Order: sequence, then C-alpha cells, then structure tokens
Amino acid sequence: MVAVAEATAATPRAPRLGPHATAWILGSLGALLALAAWTLLSQWLATGGGVINRLPPPAKVARELVQYAAGDLGRDLAFSLRVFVIGWLVGAASATVCGLLLGRVAWAGRIFLPIVEAIRPVSSIAWVPLSVVWFGFGLTSKIFLVALAVFLVVIVYAVDGSRRIPADLARTATMLGMNGWQRFRSLILPGTLTEVLIGSRVALMAGWGTVIVAELVAADSGLGAHLIAVQQSYDVPDVMATMACFGVAGLLMNALFSALERRLVPWRHDSGDVAQ
Amino acid sequence: MIGFVRNRVLLPVVGVLTVLAVWEATVVFYRLPPIVLPSPWAVAATLADLVGTYAFWRDVAVSLYEFVAGYAIGVVLGVAVGLLIGEWRVFRLTVTPVVESLRFIVPFAWIPLTILWFGTSFTGKIVLVAYAVFFVMVVSTARAIAHVEPTLTRVGTMLGMGPWQLALRVHLRAAAPTLASAARAAAAIGWIAVVAAEYIGASAGLGLMITNAATSLATPVVIAGMIVIGLIGAGVSALIGWLARRQLVDR
Amino acid sequence: MSAGDLVLDRVFHHYFSAGRRVDVLNDVSFRVGAGSVACVVGPSGCGKSTLLGLAAGLLRPAGGSLTWDDAAVRMGPNQHLGMAFQQPGLFPWMTVRQNVAIGLSTRGRSRRDARAIADEFLDTVGLSEFKDAYPSHLSGGMAQRVGIARALALKPRLLLLDEPFAAVDAFTRLKLQQEFKSLLRLNRPTVVFVTHDVPEAIALGDVIVVMTQRPATVQRIIPVAREDRDRASPAYGRKLAETLECLGVKSENEES
Repeated sequence: MVAVAEATAATPRAPRLGPHATAWILGSLGALLALAAWTLLSQWLATGGGVINRLPPPAKVARELVQYAAGDLGRDLAFSLRVFVIGWLVGAASATVCGLLLGRVAWAGRIFLPIVEAIRPVSSIAWVPLSVVWFGFGLTSKIFLVALAVFLVVIVYAVDGSRRIPADLARTATMLGMNGWQRFRSLILPGTLTEVLIGSRVALMAGWGTVIVAELVAADSGLGAHLIAVQQSYDVPDVMATMACFGVAGLLMNALFSALERRLVPWRHDSGDVAQ
Repeated sequence: MIGFVRNRVLLPVVGVLTVLAVWEATVVFYRLPPIVLPSPWAVAATLADLVGTYAFWRDVAVSLYEFVAGYAIGVVLGVAVGLLIGEWRVFRLTVTPVVESLRFIVPFAWIPLTILWFGTSFTGKIVLVAYAVFFVMVVSTARAIAHVEPTLTRVGTMLGMGPWQLALRVHLRAAAPTLASAARAAAAIGWIAVVAAEYIGASAGLGLMITNAATSLATPVVIAGMIVIGLIGAGVSALIGWLARRQLVDR
Repeated sequence: MSAGDLVLDRVFHHYFSAGRRVDVLNDVSFRVGAGSVACVVGPSGCGKSTLLGLAAGLLRPAGGSLTWDDAAVRMGPNQHLGMAFQQPGLFPWMTVRQNVAIGLSTRGRSRRDARAIADEFLDTVGLSEFKDAYPSHLSGGMAQRVGIARALALKPRLLLLDEPFAAVDAFTRLKLQQEFKSLLRLNRPTVVFVTHDVPEAIALGDVIVVMTQRPATVQRIIPVAREDRDRASPAYGRKLAETLECLGVKSENEES
C-alpha cells in the first residue's frame, strides 16, 4: 500500500529577502513615517488646530539640538553625570554592605529585610521634599536621592548574591579547610559583587531618572536645570532637544554598562528589564 | 502555621517597632529639632490632623484621579499595541526603532513639556501617566506574546482557530500572568510619575502638598505625606495584584 | 481510489537560522493508505516533526507536494485533521474537559455537544475523574493522554501524532499503546505516528517509514504484518533487527 517515487531532485524555492535586510528596511520606514507624521502634525497645529500648540517640526528640534550640543550641553551633562556617578557609587556601595549584613547575619536580615521590602516600593521620588528639607537644593541633596534610588534597587540583588553560594562550592571550601575570612573573600564577596553588578545596571535607569527629577526640583545645574529653564522661557524646541539629549545619554550609558556586564559576567544574562 | 505567623506577622512587627524605637531614640538622643526629624508621635499627630482637613482629601482625590485615568488609558492602549507588535511581524519591525528610541526618555523628562502644553491642569498629568504606563505595558505585552509556548499556537491552529482567535483566545490568555505583574509594575511607575509631576507644576495634589510643606519646613507634614504616598502606592499595587489573581483563578 | 490517502511527493523543506539555510527534508516520498497506520522512525532531530507540520498544513513545503484526499494539503486549520504534539499543549487556563471540548466548539459544534463528546472521550482514555482539574495538576503522561483525547474527539480522518508517548515511563507507554490501538478501531483514521521507539513502531504500525539523518529522506519502508507484532515470535525479532539495522544499530552478534 505504500510506494516510493523515483528519486529526482526538485528545486526548493529561492529564499526571500534575508531577515536582517527586512528589519532594517521596515525599521527605517517606521522611523521616517514617525518623523513625517511629526512634521505634518506640527504644520497642522501651527495653523491653530488642536489642544497642543507649539509643536516644532523635527528639523527645528534637530537644529536646536546641534546648537545646544555646541554650547552648554557639555557643561550641563557634566554636572548631571557627576551627580549620577557619585550617587550611584554611594548607593551601590552601601547596598553591598547592607546586603552582606542583612543576607548573612540571620537576625539582622529577619528584622530589617521586611522594612526594606516595605520601603522599596516607595520610590526615591517621594523622598525629594524631605531631602530638600534636610540638605537644601544643592549637590548633597541630589546625590542623596540618586544614592537612595540605586540603593533600593541594588539591595535586593546584594542580599540575594550574598546568600547564593552553590552548595558544592561551599562543601569544597569546607574540605579545603577555609576559615571564615577566606570563605568570605573567595566565595561570598565575589558572589555578592556579581549580583551587585547586575543590579547596578538595572538601577541605572532608576538612578538617571532620579537625577532628572532632582534637577527639575532643585534647578541649579545640570540637564534638568536647563530643561526647567527653557520650559519657563516657553522654548519648546529647546525643551525637546534637551529631552533627546537626556534620552541619548541614558541609552549610551545603558549600552556601555551592558557591554561591561557581558565582559565581566558573561555567564549571567539579564535580559532587558521592563520597569523599575 | 507557627512559622507563618512568625515570619509574616511577628518579625515585620518587630521590625517596624524597632525602626520606630530607633527613630524616637535618635530624635531624643541627638535632640533633633522637629524641623530636621520630628518624632514618630509628632508625625502621627500631624497625620491625624491632616485626615481631618478637606484640603488633604482633595489632594488625595486629585492625585488618585490623575493616576487612575492615566493608568486606564495607558494599560488599554499599551496592551492593544503590544498585542499588535507581538502578532504582526511587519508592524513590530516598523515600530520597534521608534519605541526603542523613546524608551530612554524617562517619563520624568516629559514633565516640563506636558506643563508647557497642558499647563498645570489634570490633563497634563493624565497624559504623563498614560505615557509611562503605556510604555511598560507595550514592552511587556510584546515580549510576553513572543514567549508564548509555540505548541499552544500550533494546537490552536490545528483546532481551527484563525489569527485573530489565536491572538485573543490563546496568546493573550497565555500571556496573562506576565501581564498582571507588568500591570503592577506599571502602577508603581504611574503613581510616582503623578507625584513627581505635581512637584513641578500643579495646582493641587499630594506632590504639591509635600513640596509646599518642604518649602515651609513643615517636616512632620512632609513625612506624613510620604507615608500616605507610600501607602497609596502599596495599596494600588496590592489591589491590582488581587484583581489579577481573581481573574486568573488558580493555575 | 485514493480518498483518505496521504501522499508525500518529493517533499523538500528547509528553514533559515542565523542567516544560513538548514535543509531538513530532502526528497521525501511515501504514501499512507486510508485507514492504515504509518510509523515514522529516525534519528533525533532528523525532521520527523517537520514532516508532521507539513502534513498538517502548519508549514508550507519548500518543494514538492503533499496530498490528502486527492487535493493539496491546505495551509492553516484543516477540518479533517487531528494532531497531538510532543508537548501536550493544553491551555493552562482551561480545565481538562474544556481543553478537550474547545476543539469541538471551534469546529462548529454547540457548547453542549462539545462537552458531552469531551466527557465521552475522557472516559475512554480513563481520565474522567480529572475532568475538572487544571493541566498544572496533571502528570506528564496524563497531560499527554488528554492531548490525544482532544485529537481523537475531533473524530479526524487524518491523525498525526508526534512522539506522543515519549515523555512517559516504559510501563505506562505499553499501556497507552494498547489503549491507542483500541481507540483507532473506533474510527479507523489514516494515521502518521512519529516515534523513536522501534518496538512501539512495530506494535502500532502497518508500515514503518525509516528516515535518514538530516537532511532526511526515506531510507526504507518496512511493512509490518500481524505475526510480527507478537513479541514472543521470531518474526518480531527479525522485524526489529531489520529496522534497527536500517537505523544503523548493529545486532549483538556482529559486535566482535
């Protein structure tokens, strides 16, 4: 009841456009469409229709961006980055220390972790007014807020990392007769730092976002301050240009950090996060 | 049972009491003025006072209204567009670069622009929250749809479902648990976006309330406000989690 | 008379992975007569699942043709078809009964009919006490049986099964094979059954289609007669040896 046909070669269909080419073409198309829609919208709104007035066309924003880049961008960016980096380091470092404490010392963990869990969801943003009361509008205040934001994210990773010692490594350490300090240095600390690294990348956007809010409120220096200044002078193109700078900075930092993470911790892949 | 009581009830209570004790002790020991750190009692008393005022409840209502409206819009649009991205390859490839570029402009960065466009009205904050929530939901939905077990799709096709049926009856349902978590995360972000927006430009709301208090160094009010903000945030998150669990039943 | 026959004629298939073309099927041809069971065996990853996907209209062949009932196999949902996959693929948000019934209602039955038929088939596979359970509460083997019940409940004329008993322990597998044979007697669909278990192929198949490694082609088609199924008979041994040899497994006394 079964027959086998003669074996003759048949030509399979020729492949369609490769997958990468399609992605590029469609992606560029999408970007162009978005820009076109933006330009049209700004034209339409300029003639007085619609809720939003003052939508500058992309060309204008681009010009403004170039102007800003040639001008004060460097200075403002430097200020913001300074706040960010210091706050981030402080936050990560304190999270590491606290994470180790809370993770390894049983009673400390049992008592204080629930508190940390309770405070975590209350974003550092809620602390802004208190920070203003305590530290005023200056650098300290902003660093405190960024450090807090980073701390709240990284602490979970640090606690996790401090506890996560593969059982077989622990047994090996015992067999080798390592004492407490040696175990700490060779097992616990590297594990914790690995997790802290990963958590720090996740905390990146939380921290950078906090920088901008802190600067919007304090409004003395940095990208956020510039943003508020141009908003108050009703300079919409400049506002949008500054927003773009902020986004690009965040993107670059994220890319940089992801690359670093891939280099240092290649065996752990934390795929892109959704929300902070 | 004992373990449960110990871990979920007893220890957190001990923790809270410890914090309160440390707080009180710090205030007393360092003789901190109320402007710097009021004692827990002062904050409690302030909170009790606030709850009795009309202005406080008005501020709570305003913030909640802005949040809920923006959240609803953001979730619906976000899931809808996310579904489209997940289901329709051409759409996904076209839209992704735009979405990815906007992703890095944190919602907070939009605050000044929304003020320019909408002033200090509710609309501006609603738009902001909707934007923030939309982004979280779009990315999560698209990702969740992409990760639906392929066998389920094949089963659906074999059983006779067309692409729309597959998308709505199979993919969306399969992605539902992930979407529920994303909805909670989105709520947290949306709520904080409202508060942040109210710091910068608002006529009413909790953010404005604590900013004003900060300016006049009324620290007990600031802390009381922070507690309220935190509680509402936690409450909203828990509510959404509860709703999600009810819908999804036991799996 | 080729109604109910599944015919593969010089089927080629490939896909693209990381920019390179991977050839999966290379000139595959065979016919499965109406009401008969063809067991497809071959090395892992040789494309047996792809074959089923093509026969089900889930994939479009890169070359060649597949024919059912003298007409080309259509892409997309096919009413004549029932299929059970390697993973049970039960919808986790539906109960066992709902899972079996859903196919019936998407194919046009009323809800009430669908439920009744679902109950009937769950009884037949011995899972009626789990009617209201959710898939996460079932063991792998039980979930697979539900998947098969779901395919059978559709009363398909063409039944495709992808290693349905692979995830199950050896004893349960033997029991399931027995159950399966009696279920087939109800409707006598045309069956293509992919398996890596040669004794299973002999037990269930009227014909064994032996595939080569990827890119796979048909190496040999081995008919199975009634006597061959008796495990105590020499005929069984010979059939087993023949099939294994085809797959490249030498018999014991050839080892030196």
